[in-house]
Amino acid sequence: MSLWRDIKGTIQPFWVTLRYLFCRPVTICYPEQKQTPAPRYRGRLILTRDPDGEERCVACYLCSAACPVDCISMQATEREDGRRYAAWFRINFSRCIFCGLCTEACPTLAIQMTADYELATRELLQVVYEKDELLIDGCGKNAQYNFYRLAGIGVAAPRGANPGESPPEDIKSNLP
Amino acid sequence: MPTLIIDNLTVTVPEGTNILEAARQLGIEIPHFCHHEALGSVGACRLCAVEILAGPVKGIQMSCMVPAKDDMVVDTCSAEVLAYRAQVIEWLMINHPHDCPVCDEGGECQLQDMTVAGGHGIRRYSGPKRTHQNQNLGPFISHEMNRCIQCYRCVRTYQDYCGGTDFGVLGARQRLYFGRFNDGPLESPFAGNLVDVCPTGVFTDKTYRFKSRLWDLQEAPSICPHCSLGCAVIPGARYRELQRRRARTNKRTNGHFICDRGRFGYGYVNHPDRPRHPLVGHRRVTWQEGLAALQNKLQELGELFGAGSIGLLSSSRATLETQFLTKRWATSLGSDQVCFEAHPVRDQGARVAASQPLDRSASLEDVRNCDLAVLIGADPLSEAPMLALALRQAARRGARIVVADPRPVVLPMACERHAVSTDKLARLLRGLSRPQQSALPASLEELGGSLSQALLSARSPVLIGGTDLLGPQGILALLEAAEACSQPEHPCRTMLLLGGPNSFGGALLSADGPGFDSLLEGMEQGRIKALLCFEADPLADFPDRKRIRAALSRLDLLAVFDCAATATVQEADLFFPTTAVEESTGTLINNEGRMQTFEQVLSAGTPIAESAGGSHPPRFFTRDIPGTDPQPAWGTLGALMGRCADLGALRREIEKADARFAGLSLLDANGEGRRIAIPRSRPVALQPAVANAVAPDQLSLLVTETLFGSELLSSLSPCLQEAIPAPFVMLHPQDAMRLKLEEGKKVTLATPLGDLTLILRIQQDMVPGVAIVPRLRGTALESLVPGSEPLPCRIEKA
Amino acid sequence: MNDVLLTIILIVIKLGLVLGTVLSLAAYMVLAERKVLARMQMRHGPNRVGPFGLLQPLADLIKLLCKEDLIPERADRWVFMLAPAISVGTALLAFAVIPFGAPLQIFGRTIELVICDLNIGLLYLFALSSLAVYGVALGGWASQSKFALLGGLRAMAQMISYELALGLAIVPVVMASKSFSLTAIVASQQSLPNALRHPLAFLIFVIAIMAESKRTPFDMPEAENELVAGYHTEYSGMRFGMFFVGEYVNLIVLGSMLTVLFLGGWHGPFLPSVGWFLIKILAVAFFFIWVRGTVPRLRYDQLMAFGWKILVPLGLLNILVTAVWLLWRG
Repeated sequence: MSLWRDIKGTIQPFWVTLRYLFCRPVTICYPEQKQTPAPRYRGRLILTRDPDGEERCVACYLCSAACPVDCISMQATEREDGRRYAAWFRINFSRCIFCGLCTEACPTLAIQMTADYELATRELLQVVYEKDELLIDGCGKNAQYNFYRLAGIGVAAPRGANPGESPPEDIKSNLP
Repeated sequence: MPTLIIDNLTVTVPEGTNILEAARQLGIEIPHFCHHEALGSVGACRLCAVEILAGPVKGIQMSCMVPAKDDMVVDTCSAEVLAYRAQVIEWLMINHPHDCPVCDEGGECQLQDMTVAGGHGIRRYSGPKRTHQNQNLGPFISHEMNRCIQCYRCVRTYQDYCGGTDFGVLGARQRLYFGRFNDGPLESPFAGNLVDVCPTGVFTDKTYRFKSRLWDLQEAPSICPHCSLGCAVIPGARYRELQRRRARTNKRTNGHFICDRGRFGYGYVNHPDRPRHPLVGHRRVTWQEGLAALQNKLQELGELFGAGSIGLLSSSRATLETQFLTKRWATSLGSDQVCFEAHPVRDQGARVAASQPLDRSASLEDVRNCDLAVLIGADPLSEAPMLALALRQAARRGARIVVADPRPVVLPMACERHAVSTDKLARLLRGLSRPQQSALPASLEELGGSLSQALLSARSPVLIGGTDLLGPQGILALLEAAEACSQPEHPCRTMLLLGGPNSFGGALLSADGPGFDSLLEGMEQGRIKALLCFEADPLADFPDRKRIRAALSRLDLLAVFDCAATATVQEADLFFPTTAVEESTGTLINNEGRMQTFEQVLSAGTPIAESAGGSHPPRFFTRDIPGTDPQPAWGTLGALMGRCADLGALRREIEKADARFAGLSLLDANGEGRRIAIPRSRPVALQPAVANAVAPDQLSLLVTETLFGSELLSSLSPCLQEAIPAPFVMLHPQDAMRLKLEEGKKVTLATPLGDLTLILRIQQDMVPGVAIVPRLRGTALESLVPGSEPLPCRIEKA
Repeated sequence: MNDVLLTIILIVIKLGLVLGTVLSLAAYMVLAERKVLARMQMRHGPNRVGPFGLLQPLADLIKLLCKEDLIPERADRWVFMLAPAISVGTALLAFAVIPFGAPLQIFGRTIELVICDLNIGLLYLFALSSLAVYGVALGGWASQSKFALLGGLRAMAQMISYELALGLAIVPVVMASKSFSLTAIVASQQSLPNALRHPLAFLIFVIAIMAESKRTPFDMPEAENELVAGYHTEYSGMRFGMFFVGEYVNLIVLGSMLTVLFLGGWHGPFLPSVGWFLIKILAVAFFFIWVRGTVPRLRYDQLMAFGWKILVPLGLLNILVTAVWLLWRG
């Protein structure tokens, strides 16, 4: 019995490979045929805007801290209305490993991954993206989210006017 | 000495220690917000709960409020305690605005840490959050009240510890508000400490607003270079820019806090006008070219006029290593014309101060623990701000603080004031040496005598003097008085305020060498043809601006090694950039003789914010980093002497050459520093000061240091500019009435140096017959230098 | 005189034809291998250069020629440079005695479709395949690299071991055809190929040439997951290319041997004899590729044990049985 099994085990693989020889290849010929990536494909990073059209990124440095290859750098600054934003924001895609940790770290959902994977170029500096190349005009995923409408420090709305906030206290009153 | 068990570990602690601190001794950190080592406990935050299983009290207790007792058994993380803490955190977070991404405290926030540690992730309470309006608290502090967790640390720091009166707590129950009654800058010069003590982001550093996160900062233990006290600080830098300073703990000196001059004076490192390249004439050259030009010129002068024609000047800003190598280089050049301070009074004063017996020299810790402090001619807030804070801690423990000064000395607490004019301070000191009882002192001698009596009977008295007003004779008299008032069991300690962070080191090294006035004479007579300034600014520091300018213009060679665009740098024939304190390693000796080393925080270079012009950093890559030319002065000196730049070897050499610096090479920048081994010998031949005659209708002009704007480096800091006052002159009400002048109006001050238009301030606590102006660099008052003889002057309406 | 000249011209023409065919066949063998393997793994294989990737061998050649020819600093320069030449030279020389078609009759002249019909052709073949070990062994040794040295040693041991089995497998064929001349052996198979006449010898021979050509499942000398690339780790450029070409020429040579000794040589119905010969070689090559696509690599000790403990005794047994059978048949 064992001998028969051995012989079968030796012969059968030949049959398998021969059969596959006449199967259709599953590989696609890339530049001519393009694959549609999955919705959560981790491709090129973008910076999105909130529903009010403002930059979502507040330059909190969490993405650059989370980045295992240190490809994100930025400088935060303040707008006149107290809004924190990135004076400059740089992602070096020649270093990026598309791990997605930055998007997980982002508290304002500003940095998001797209399905764009066609970044290859011969010019190294072309893959060092600055803020104007990263920032898009849309909201990306979670289109409704606006960090400043949830953080109670009075930037998008006056202080105490966000949902779930009571109006500012009058500190000079002792009335209960 | 109770012995108790915490988490199955036995510990013995001094009587009165609370459980939280006892646990800390075991290395167990009990989470807490409101407890602070310097501020004590109030039991407000309820987070430090522990379970006491056995002992006088049982059950869940606040560890910061329960003193350790014998046979206590404490469990710091039983299930019940953990649940309790988690609940406390959840309560504290009820009103929190959830804005960590835009909060500067993020990354170094105790509330963040505790929330994560407490396991609180999802808000369960659905009620509304209370909100507050913020206040504008001036140029240093940002206010965001919505983040407050009512731990009271800020009020306890500001009011109790620092003695500020314009900031407090308002409102009741959950509406508690920590701020001022109205918007406005915080008045206390220690307001910056709110940033360090606040466990969340209510108070953040406005000058550092949105610049970096803690994890991105390069930090290293350093020393504050803005006065002679040598407070411990931790500067933080990023992108080649020094972005902030925060307090480091050194219990012997500053304790846990620093003053605002030290905290916000860091900006000079990034100053856009800072010269960063070697210059010959005003032409940029390489280091090799510059050093070759220097050496050629020196050789030429040496051959023509002899080595004595080369003068070397270092300063109290230079590190001990730089000063030592300056002296070594002078020796190898064959010149004896070397000195370490351009201000003769400060130079001689420091030399006397450096001769005080070391066991009598008071540290700030001694001041904090004293029961009587007598300040003679010392204005702590202006000359050494942290001394004022130390005096306040002494006063809070019940110490008596006596101030004898011509100036209206402001201290952050009540104290005994005696307005004594400068020339009479000597009489007071004379009296101090002769103790006598007198209930109502009629004369200065008698006042001195009664103070002397008090010093004799005090447990730990401190006698504090300032070099600028007292001068070398005064300091000598003060040291003698301290000796006279000392008893073997409780000596009278002395603290002398010096000109700069390393005046003491310069005084030790200068031995009986010439002062700058003798170098100046040499320059005027043409004996000295070359002056090499190592981090020294004689043009601004020498009291007689005209004389020094004329002398400098006679020189064949003026070479300056400095890290700031000083007045002397403008005149220099050769300029070599040196590193700032934060950019190099070195040693400073503070006013009590404590050697302290600092470590390099960042490498010298033009900040990216500056080189990129506010935009993103350049999109090209080169090997060269802009602005990296500055070298430590000791490194440059080493190169000139053909030595290798090995700091360790240099320190060992200093130790070997001079027994006073024993232990230098063993110093740890994170440690408490180390007193020098032996004081210097007392200098001789002090020429008595010649007082300028003041006509009866004239006032005597007294120039003094002030908190912001007097000290060179901090006055260059852009963050401090808003706090620097407009030039003003202070008068006693009597004089103001006599001259019919009004407070706040513009007046003309006529001095031998020219007429100045200033704003008048009328001060009650000063001596009459004197007009007091602060030294303010970069203003009309630039040329007036403290520590010089009082000039005659007149004041008229402008 | 005229005859001698004509013979020389004929030999030169034959040499050119054979050399060209063998080399281009080797080049396309590489492509075919890559294509077939790819399809077995549901991939496309090379398809970028020319139609269906047909110009891929040319591209490979250009690439190899343009690459830098590295010689390791501590290598034995001359031996290092000589080794690939030995490898490819022995493989090509072996073709001299292989009859690749029935004799042609042109203008009354009988042209033997073999470059040189030695009467001891078989021994010549064996001599050359033994010499081929030198290329590999010297290349591995001269590289001054532990991977290359180990690869070279393995190749040497393996080739010497399996040469024994190879020789033993042929003895029955020689006994039956009573000649060492390959032409004679082919001629003796006109009615029935030796594969059917000596099936055990055929099996042993197939396995042995697979080991001899250092191909999967016997590619221990260049086992990439333990030895990087074995004896040619340090080679680059066209020197590496020569090892590579040598290997595929060797494949063709061994395929021809198999065809000549066991598959009836050029004999076959309908088609011209050279055509049959080619078809048989290609079939053998396809079989080799198929094996590579199917069977995993053996472990080294398994390989040696299989050679010495199974193939050699079996070969001896086979000789014995054949001898008895021949004696019995008279």
